[in-house]
Amino acid sequence: MTWAALFSLANAIALLAWATLILAPRWAALLAAIRYGVIGLFCVAYAVLVLLFFFRVEGGGFGSLLEVRALFASDPALLAGWLHYLAFDLFVGLWIAERADARGLNRFIQAPLLFATFMFGPIGLLMTIGFDLIPRSLRTQDA
Amino acid sequence: MSTIAIPQDRRAIPTFSMPTDPASGAALDTALIMLALLAPTLVAMNIDERQLNSADIWMKPLHFQLSIFIHFAALVLLLPLINPAGRASRLIRWSMTSAATAAVCEIGYIMLQAARGRASHFNASTPIETVMYPLMGIGATIIVIGSFLIGVQIWRQGRTDIGAGLRLGAILGLTLGSAATLIIAGTMASGSIDGPGHWVGGVHSDANGLPFLGWSTTGGDLRAPHFFATHGMQVLPVAGFLADRLFGSQAPRAVWSATALWVALVATTFAIALTGTPLLRL
Repeated sequence: MTWAALFSLANAIALLAWATLILAPRWAALLAAIRYGVIGLFCVAYAVLVLLFFFRVEGGGFGSLLEVRALFASDPALLAGWLHYLAFDLFVGLWIAERADARGLNRFIQAPLLFATFMFGPIGLLMTIGFDLIPRSLRTQDA
Repeated sequence: MSTIAIPQDRRAIPTFSMPTDPASGAALDTALIMLALLAPTLVAMNIDERQLNSADIWMKPLHFQLSIFIHFAALVLLLPLINPAGRASRLIRWSMTSAATAAVCEIGYIMLQAARGRASHFNASTPIETVMYPLMGIGATIIVIGSFLIGVQIWRQGRTDIGAGLRLGAILGLTLGSAATLIIAGTMASGSIDGPGHWVGGVHSDANGLPFLGWSTTGGDLRAPHFFATHGMQVLPVAGFLADRLFGSQAPRAVWSATALWVALVATTFAIALTGTPLLRL
Protein backbone atom coordinates (compact mmCIF):
# COMPACT_ATOMS: atom_id res chain seq x y z
CA MET A 1 0.00 0.00 0.00
CA THR A 2 1.32 3.43 -0.95
CA TRP A 3 1.25 6.48 1.33
CA ALA A 4 -1.24 8.05 -1.09
CA ALA A 5 -3.54 5.04 -0.76
CA LEU A 6 -3.31 5.17 3.04
CA PHE A 7 -4.16 8.87 2.89
CA SER A 8 -7.26 8.15 0.80
CA LEU A 9 -8.32 5.34 3.12
CA ALA A 10 -7.95 7.57 6.19
CA ASN A 11 -9.96 10.31 4.48
CA ALA A 12 -12.74 7.90 3.56
CA ILE A 13 -12.96 6.64 7.15
CA ALA A 14 -12.99 10.21 8.49
CA LEU A 15 -15.71 11.21 6.03
CA LEU A 16 -17.86 8.29 7.13
CA ALA A 17 -17.36 9.18 10.79
CA TRP A 18 -18.28 12.84 10.18
CA ALA A 19 -21.37 11.87 8.18
CA THR A 20 -22.39 9.65 11.09
CA LEU A 21 -21.79 12.41 13.62
CA ILE A 22 -23.81 14.94 11.61
CA LEU A 23 -26.64 12.74 10.33
CA ALA A 24 -27.03 9.61 12.46
CA PRO A 25 -28.87 9.32 15.78
CA ARG A 26 -26.71 9.96 18.82
CA TRP A 27 -26.64 6.36 19.96
CA ALA A 28 -24.03 5.70 22.64
CA ALA A 29 -22.64 2.79 20.61
CA LEU A 30 -22.16 4.98 17.53
CA LEU A 31 -20.41 7.71 19.52
CA ALA A 32 -18.21 5.07 21.15
CA ALA A 33 -17.38 3.64 17.73
CA ILE A 34 -16.22 7.09 16.60
CA ARG A 35 -14.32 7.82 19.80
CA TYR A 36 -12.59 4.49 20.33
CA GLY A 37 -12.82 2.99 16.86
CA VAL A 38 -12.09 5.76 14.38
CA ILE A 39 -10.22 8.25 16.56
CA GLY A 40 -8.41 5.40 18.30
CA LEU A 41 -7.38 3.96 14.94
CA PHE A 42 -6.07 7.34 13.76
CA CYS A 43 -4.10 7.74 16.98
CA VAL A 44 -2.48 4.33 16.64
CA ALA A 45 -1.67 4.94 12.97
CA TYR A 46 -0.20 8.34 13.86
CA ALA A 47 1.91 6.84 16.63
CA VAL A 48 3.30 4.14 14.36
CA LEU A 49 4.22 6.63 11.63
CA VAL A 50 5.86 9.04 14.08
CA LEU A 51 7.81 6.29 15.85
CA LEU A 52 9.00 4.82 12.57
CA PHE A 53 9.72 7.90 10.48
CA PHE A 54 9.81 11.14 12.48
CA PHE A 55 13.43 10.92 13.60
CA ARG A 56 14.68 9.79 10.22
CA VAL A 57 13.72 12.99 8.42
CA GLU A 58 16.84 15.04 7.72
CA GLY A 59 16.50 18.52 9.26
CA GLY A 60 12.94 17.83 10.40
CA GLY A 61 11.48 19.19 13.66
CA PHE A 62 8.98 21.55 15.26
CA GLY A 63 11.40 24.38 16.10
CA SER A 64 10.95 26.54 12.99
CA LEU A 65 8.88 26.76 9.84
CA LEU A 66 11.97 25.49 8.00
CA GLU A 67 12.09 22.34 10.16
CA VAL A 68 8.35 21.72 9.79
CA ARG A 69 8.63 22.15 6.03
CA ALA A 70 11.50 19.67 5.92
CA LEU A 71 9.43 17.26 8.01
CA PHE A 72 6.46 17.53 5.69
CA ALA A 73 8.64 16.92 2.65
CA SER A 74 8.62 13.31 3.80
CA ASP A 75 5.46 11.46 2.73
CA PRO A 76 5.02 9.33 5.89
CA ALA A 77 5.59 12.36 8.15
CA LEU A 78 3.11 14.37 6.05
CA LEU A 79 0.58 11.56 6.36
CA ALA A 80 1.15 11.49 10.12
CA GLY A 81 0.47 15.23 10.22
CA TRP A 82 -2.77 14.73 8.28
CA LEU A 83 -3.86 11.93 10.64
CA HIS A 84 -3.22 14.33 13.51
CA TYR A 85 -5.72 16.76 11.92
CA LEU A 86 -8.27 14.02 11.28
CA ALA A 87 -8.07 12.60 14.80
CA PHE A 88 -8.16 15.91 16.65
CA ASP A 89 -10.83 17.53 14.44
CA LEU A 90 -13.07 14.51 14.91
CA PHE A 91 -12.47 14.53 18.66
CA VAL A 92 -13.44 18.21 18.78
CA GLY A 93 -16.50 17.47 16.62
CA LEU A 94 -17.58 14.79 19.06
CA TRP A 95 -17.08 17.18 21.96
CA ILE A 96 -19.11 19.91 20.23
CA ALA A 97 -21.92 17.43 19.44
CA GLU A 98 -22.12 16.15 23.02
CA ARG A 99 -22.07 19.65 24.47
CA ALA A 100 -24.71 20.82 22.00
CA ASP A 101 -26.91 17.84 22.90
CA ALA A 102 -26.59 18.63 26.60
CA ARG A 103 -27.53 22.20 25.74
CA GLY A 104 -30.61 21.05 23.88
CA LEU A 105 -29.39 22.56 20.61
CA ASN A 106 -31.36 21.19 17.68
CA ARG A 107 -29.53 18.86 15.27
CA PHE A 108 -30.34 21.14 12.32
CA ILE A 109 -28.37 23.98 13.94
CA GLN A 110 -25.62 21.57 14.97
CA ALA A 111 -25.12 20.50 11.35
CA PRO A 112 -23.50 23.72 10.04
CA LEU A 113 -21.35 23.93 13.20
CA LEU A 114 -20.09 20.38 12.74
CA PHE A 115 -19.61 20.90 9.00
CA ALA A 116 -17.48 23.97 9.74
CA THR A 117 -15.43 21.87 12.19
CA PHE A 118 -15.04 19.12 9.59
CA MET A 119 -13.78 21.55 6.94
CA PHE A 120 -11.89 24.15 9.02
CA GLY A 121 -11.61 22.70 12.54
CA PRO A 122 -10.85 25.76 14.66
CA ILE A 123 -13.53 27.87 12.94
CA GLY A 124 -16.21 25.39 14.00
CA LEU A 125 -14.78 25.32 17.49
CA LEU A 126 -14.79 29.12 17.59
CA MET A 127 -18.46 29.20 16.60
CA THR A 128 -19.38 27.22 19.72
CA ILE A 129 -16.94 28.86 22.12
CA GLY A 130 -19.42 31.60 23.00
CA PHE A 131 -21.73 28.96 24.47
CA ASP A 132 -19.57 29.07 27.60
CA LEU A 133 -20.64 32.68 28.17
CA ILE A 134 -24.25 31.68 28.87
CA PRO A 135 -24.69 28.07 29.93
CA ARG A 136 -28.04 26.43 29.55
CA SER A 137 -29.34 22.95 29.96
CA LEU A 138 -32.36 21.11 28.60
CA ARG A 139 -32.80 19.42 31.96
CA THR A 140 -34.34 22.49 33.59
CA GLN A 141 -36.72 23.19 30.73
CA ASP A 142 -39.65 25.25 31.98
CA ALA A 143 -42.09 24.55 29.19
CA MET B 1 -37.52 29.25 34.96
CA SER B 2 -37.72 32.02 32.45
CA THR B 3 -39.41 35.11 33.61
CA ILE B 4 -39.64 38.76 32.96
CA ALA B 5 -40.96 39.81 36.31
CA ILE B 6 -42.86 43.04 36.12
CA PRO B 7 -42.75 44.75 39.47
CA GLN B 8 -45.59 46.89 40.74
CA ASP B 9 -43.59 50.03 40.15
CA ARG B 10 -43.45 50.18 36.37
CA ARG B 11 -40.40 52.34 36.36
CA ALA B 12 -38.36 49.59 37.95
CA ILE B 13 -36.26 47.50 35.60
CA PRO B 14 -37.67 44.00 35.04
CA THR B 15 -35.40 41.20 36.11
CA PHE B 16 -34.43 38.76 33.43
CA SER B 17 -33.19 35.23 33.78
CA MET B 18 -32.06 33.10 30.89
CA PRO B 19 -34.93 31.14 29.34
CA THR B 20 -34.28 27.44 28.83
CA ASP B 21 -37.00 26.51 26.34
CA PRO B 22 -35.71 25.22 22.97
CA ALA B 23 -36.86 28.22 20.93
CA SER B 24 -35.16 30.77 23.19
CA GLY B 25 -32.11 28.49 23.34
CA ALA B 26 -31.84 28.39 19.55
CA ALA B 27 -32.07 32.18 19.36
CA LEU B 28 -29.50 32.59 22.15
CA ASP B 29 -27.01 30.18 20.60
CA THR B 30 -27.33 31.87 17.21
CA ALA B 31 -26.52 35.22 18.83
CA LEU B 32 -23.50 33.70 20.58
CA ILE B 33 -22.24 32.13 17.34
CA MET B 34 -22.37 35.56 15.64
CA LEU B 35 -20.51 37.12 18.56
CA ALA B 36 -17.70 34.57 18.25
CA LEU B 37 -17.42 35.07 14.49
CA LEU B 38 -17.01 38.82 14.92
CA ALA B 39 -13.49 38.20 16.26
CA PRO B 40 -11.81 36.83 13.11
CA THR B 41 -13.88 39.20 10.94
CA LEU B 42 -12.68 42.32 12.76
CA VAL B 43 -9.04 41.18 12.61
CA ALA B 44 -9.35 40.16 8.95
CA MET B 45 -10.77 43.60 8.12
CA ASN B 46 -7.59 45.21 9.33
CA ILE B 47 -5.26 42.87 7.46
CA ASP B 48 -7.02 41.92 4.23
CA GLU B 49 -6.41 44.39 1.42
CA ARG B 50 -9.08 42.90 -0.83
CA GLN B 51 -12.17 44.88 -1.75
CA LEU B 52 -15.55 44.18 -3.29
CA ASN B 53 -17.38 47.01 -5.05
CA SER B 54 -14.72 49.32 -3.56
CA ALA B 55 -15.64 48.39 0.02
CA ASP B 56 -13.58 46.28 2.40
CA ILE B 57 -14.39 42.66 1.55
CA TRP B 58 -15.11 41.96 5.25
CA MET B 59 -17.57 44.83 5.66
CA LYS B 60 -20.50 42.74 4.49
CA PRO B 61 -19.83 39.76 6.81
CA LEU B 62 -19.45 42.31 9.63
CA HIS B 63 -22.82 43.94 8.80
CA PHE B 64 -24.57 40.58 8.70
CA GLN B 65 -22.97 39.30 11.91
CA LEU B 66 -23.96 42.44 13.80
CA SER B 67 -27.45 42.45 12.32
CA ILE B 68 -28.10 38.75 12.99
CA PHE B 69 -26.66 39.12 16.50
CA ILE B 70 -29.01 42.02 17.25
CA HIS B 71 -31.97 40.21 15.67
CA PHE B 72 -31.59 36.99 17.66
CA ALA B 73 -30.47 38.64 20.91
CA ALA B 74 -33.66 40.73 20.73
CA LEU B 75 -35.71 37.58 20.13
CA VAL B 76 -34.21 36.02 23.28
CA LEU B 77 -35.60 39.01 25.17
CA LEU B 78 -38.94 39.05 23.34
CA LEU B 79 -39.76 35.33 23.36
CA PRO B 80 -40.61 35.39 27.09
CA LEU B 81 -43.50 37.72 26.20
CA ILE B 82 -45.22 34.61 24.85
CA ASN B 83 -46.68 32.44 27.59
CA PRO B 84 -44.66 29.27 28.37
CA ALA B 85 -47.11 26.97 26.58
CA GLY B 86 -47.02 29.11 23.45
CA ARG B 87 -43.24 29.27 23.54
CA ALA B 88 -43.00 25.50 23.80
CA SER B 89 -45.49 25.03 20.94
CA ARG B 90 -44.35 23.15 17.86
CA LEU B 91 -44.88 26.26 15.71
CA ILE B 92 -42.51 28.45 17.72
CA ARG B 93 -39.96 25.70 18.33
CA TRP B 94 -39.70 24.81 14.66
CA SER B 95 -39.83 28.31 13.27
CA MET B 96 -36.99 29.32 15.63
CA THR B 97 -34.96 26.20 14.86
CA SER B 98 -35.37 26.86 11.14
CA ALA B 99 -34.55 30.54 11.50
CA ALA B 100 -31.44 29.79 13.57
CA THR B 101 -30.23 27.13 11.13
CA ALA B 102 -30.83 29.47 8.20
CA ALA B 103 -28.94 32.29 9.92
CA VAL B 104 -25.89 30.13 10.70
CA CYS B 105 -25.77 28.77 7.14
CA GLU B 106 -26.29 32.28 5.74
CA ILE B 107 -23.36 33.77 7.66
CA GLY B 108 -21.26 30.71 6.78
CA TYR B 109 -21.76 31.27 3.06
CA ILE B 110 -21.27 35.05 3.32
CA MET B 111 -17.93 34.52 5.13
CA LEU B 112 -16.86 31.77 2.74
CA GLN B 113 -17.51 34.03 -0.25
CA ALA B 114 -15.66 36.93 1.39
CA ALA B 115 -12.69 34.64 2.04
CA ARG B 116 -12.78 33.63 -1.63
CA GLY B 117 -12.93 37.30 -2.60
CA ARG B 118 -16.30 36.86 -4.26
CA ALA B 119 -19.79 38.33 -3.93
CA SER B 120 -22.43 36.32 -2.06
CA HIS B 121 -25.56 38.19 -3.15
CA PHE B 122 -26.38 39.16 -6.75
CA ASN B 123 -23.72 36.77 -8.00
CA ALA B 124 -24.61 34.58 -10.97
CA SER B 125 -21.13 34.09 -12.39
CA THR B 126 -20.78 30.36 -11.70
CA PRO B 127 -23.42 27.58 -11.51
CA ILE B 128 -22.92 27.06 -7.76
CA GLU B 129 -23.13 30.77 -6.97
CA THR B 130 -26.22 31.01 -9.17
CA VAL B 131 -27.86 28.28 -7.10
CA MET B 132 -26.65 29.68 -3.77
CA TYR B 133 -28.07 33.17 -4.23
CA PRO B 134 -31.76 32.16 -4.34
CA LEU B 135 -31.07 29.62 -1.54
CA MET B 136 -29.89 32.54 0.59
CA GLY B 137 -33.13 34.30 -0.30
CA ILE B 138 -35.07 31.31 1.01
CA GLY B 139 -32.94 31.30 4.18
CA ALA B 140 -33.54 35.01 4.74
CA THR B 141 -37.27 34.48 4.23
CA ILE B 142 -37.25 31.71 6.87
CA ILE B 143 -35.50 34.05 9.33
CA VAL B 144 -38.10 36.77 8.74
CA ILE B 145 -41.06 34.36 8.94
CA GLY B 146 -39.67 33.26 12.32
CA SER B 147 -39.77 36.77 13.76
CA PHE B 148 -43.19 37.42 12.18
CA LEU B 149 -44.61 34.33 13.91
CA ILE B 150 -43.19 35.40 17.27
CA GLY B 151 -44.99 38.72 16.83
CA VAL B 152 -48.24 36.88 16.03
CA GLN B 153 -47.85 34.57 19.03
CA ILE B 154 -47.15 37.46 21.41
CA TRP B 155 -50.48 38.82 20.19
CA ARG B 156 -52.38 35.50 20.38
CA GLN B 157 -50.68 33.76 23.30
CA GLY B 158 -48.96 36.68 24.96
CA ARG B 159 -48.52 37.01 28.66
CA THR B 160 -50.89 39.50 30.19
CA ASP B 161 -48.72 40.41 33.17
CA ILE B 162 -46.45 42.70 31.17
CA GLY B 163 -46.69 46.34 30.25
CA ALA B 164 -49.22 47.07 27.50
CA GLY B 165 -46.71 49.29 25.68
CA LEU B 166 -43.99 46.65 25.53
CA ARG B 167 -46.51 44.05 24.39
CA LEU B 168 -47.92 46.27 21.64
CA GLY B 169 -44.46 47.44 20.55
CA ALA B 170 -43.26 43.84 20.29
CA ILE B 171 -46.33 42.73 18.31
CA LEU B 172 -46.21 45.67 15.88
CA GLY B 173 -42.41 45.68 15.56
CA LEU B 174 -42.08 41.98 14.84
CA THR B 175 -45.05 41.61 12.48
CA LEU B 176 -44.74 44.89 10.57
CA GLY B 177 -40.92 44.85 10.66
CA SER B 178 -40.84 41.33 9.22
CA ALA B 179 -43.45 42.16 6.57
CA ALA B 180 -41.69 45.37 5.55
CA THR B 181 -38.34 43.55 5.39
CA LEU B 182 -39.86 40.89 3.14
CA ILE B 183 -41.32 43.52 0.80
CA ILE B 184 -38.15 45.62 0.55
CA ALA B 185 -35.67 42.74 0.39
CA GLY B 186 -37.98 41.00 -2.06
CA THR B 187 -37.98 44.08 -4.29
CA MET B 188 -34.19 44.23 -4.01
CA ALA B 189 -33.74 40.55 -4.83
CA SER B 190 -36.22 40.54 -7.72
CA GLY B 191 -33.89 42.87 -9.61
CA SER B 192 -36.92 44.63 -11.09
CA ILE B 193 -35.66 48.06 -9.97
CA ASP B 194 -32.43 48.79 -11.87
CA GLY B 195 -31.23 45.32 -10.79
CA PRO B 196 -29.47 43.12 -10.18
CA GLY B 197 -28.28 44.77 -6.98
CA HIS B 198 -29.41 47.18 -4.31
CA TRP B 199 -28.38 50.33 -6.14
CA VAL B 200 -30.94 52.39 -8.04
CA GLY B 201 -29.20 54.77 -10.42
CA GLY B 202 -26.04 56.56 -9.35
CA VAL B 203 -22.63 54.89 -9.31
CA HIS B 204 -22.93 51.15 -8.65
CA SER B 205 -20.09 51.07 -6.14
CA ASP B 206 -19.46 51.54 -2.43
CA ALA B 207 -16.59 53.91 -3.20
CA ASN B 208 -18.58 56.99 -2.18
CA GLY B 209 -20.92 55.24 0.23
CA LEU B 210 -21.79 56.51 3.70
CA PRO B 211 -19.19 55.65 6.36
CA PHE B 212 -19.68 52.15 7.77
CA LEU B 213 -23.22 51.76 6.36
CA GLY B 214 -22.01 52.02 2.78
CA TRP B 215 -25.27 53.41 1.39
CA SER B 216 -24.87 55.19 -1.93
CA THR B 217 -24.47 58.98 -1.93
CA THR B 218 -24.83 59.22 -5.69
CA GLY B 219 -28.09 57.31 -6.23
CA GLY B 220 -30.82 55.29 -4.55
CA ASP B 221 -29.82 52.41 -2.28
CA LEU B 222 -32.39 49.84 -1.16
CA ARG B 223 -30.14 48.83 1.74
CA ALA B 224 -31.31 51.96 3.60
CA PRO B 225 -35.06 51.09 3.80
CA HIS B 226 -34.07 47.43 4.40
CA PHE B 227 -32.07 48.59 7.44
CA PHE B 228 -34.89 50.75 8.85
CA ALA B 229 -37.53 48.08 8.20
CA THR B 230 -35.53 45.24 9.73
CA HIS B 231 -34.37 47.07 12.83
CA GLY B 232 -37.87 48.34 13.53
CA MET B 233 -38.21 44.85 15.01
CA GLN B 234 -35.99 46.05 17.86
CA VAL B 235 -36.81 49.75 17.92
CA LEU B 236 -40.58 49.43 18.43
CA PRO B 237 -40.34 47.00 21.40
CA VAL B 238 -37.81 49.36 22.99
CA ALA B 239 -40.20 52.23 22.33
CA GLY B 240 -42.97 50.22 24.01
CA PHE B 241 -40.75 49.41 26.99
CA LEU B 242 -39.94 53.10 27.43
CA ALA B 243 -43.56 54.14 26.88
CA ASP B 244 -44.67 51.93 29.79
CA ARG B 245 -42.28 53.80 32.03
CA LEU B 246 -42.95 57.30 30.70
CA PHE B 247 -46.63 57.36 29.80
CA GLY B 248 -48.26 54.75 32.04
CA SER B 249 -51.77 53.94 30.83
CA GLN B 250 -51.24 56.11 27.74
CA ALA B 251 -48.38 53.82 26.60
CA PRO B 252 -50.33 52.06 23.80
CA ARG B 253 -51.21 55.41 22.26
CA ALA B 254 -47.52 56.39 22.33
CA VAL B 255 -46.57 53.07 20.73
CA TRP B 256 -49.10 53.56 17.92
CA SER B 257 -47.63 57.01 17.31
CA ALA B 258 -44.09 55.63 17.27
CA THR B 259 -45.24 52.91 14.86
CA ALA B 260 -46.81 55.48 12.54
CA LEU B 261 -43.58 57.49 12.56
CA TRP B 262 -41.54 54.37 11.86
CA VAL B 263 -43.84 53.28 8.99
CA ALA B 264 -43.48 56.76 7.52
CA LEU B 265 -39.69 56.54 7.83
CA VAL B 266 -39.55 53.16 6.11
CA ALA B 267 -42.00 54.17 3.37
CA THR B 268 -40.19 57.45 2.76
CA THR B 269 -36.70 55.95 2.60
CA PHE B 270 -38.09 53.17 0.36
CA ALA B 271 -39.66 55.74 -1.99
CA ILE B 272 -36.48 57.83 -1.99
CA ALA B 273 -34.41 54.77 -2.90
CA LEU B 274 -36.85 53.72 -5.63
CA THR B 275 -36.59 57.11 -7.29
CA GLY B 276 -32.82 56.72 -7.42
CA THR B 277 -32.13 59.49 -4.95
CA PRO B 278 -29.46 59.16 -2.26
CA LEU B 279 -30.60 59.49 1.34
CA LEU B 280 -27.66 61.75 2.10
CA ARG B 281 -25.20 63.46 -0.21
CA LEU B 282 -21.75 63.92 1.23
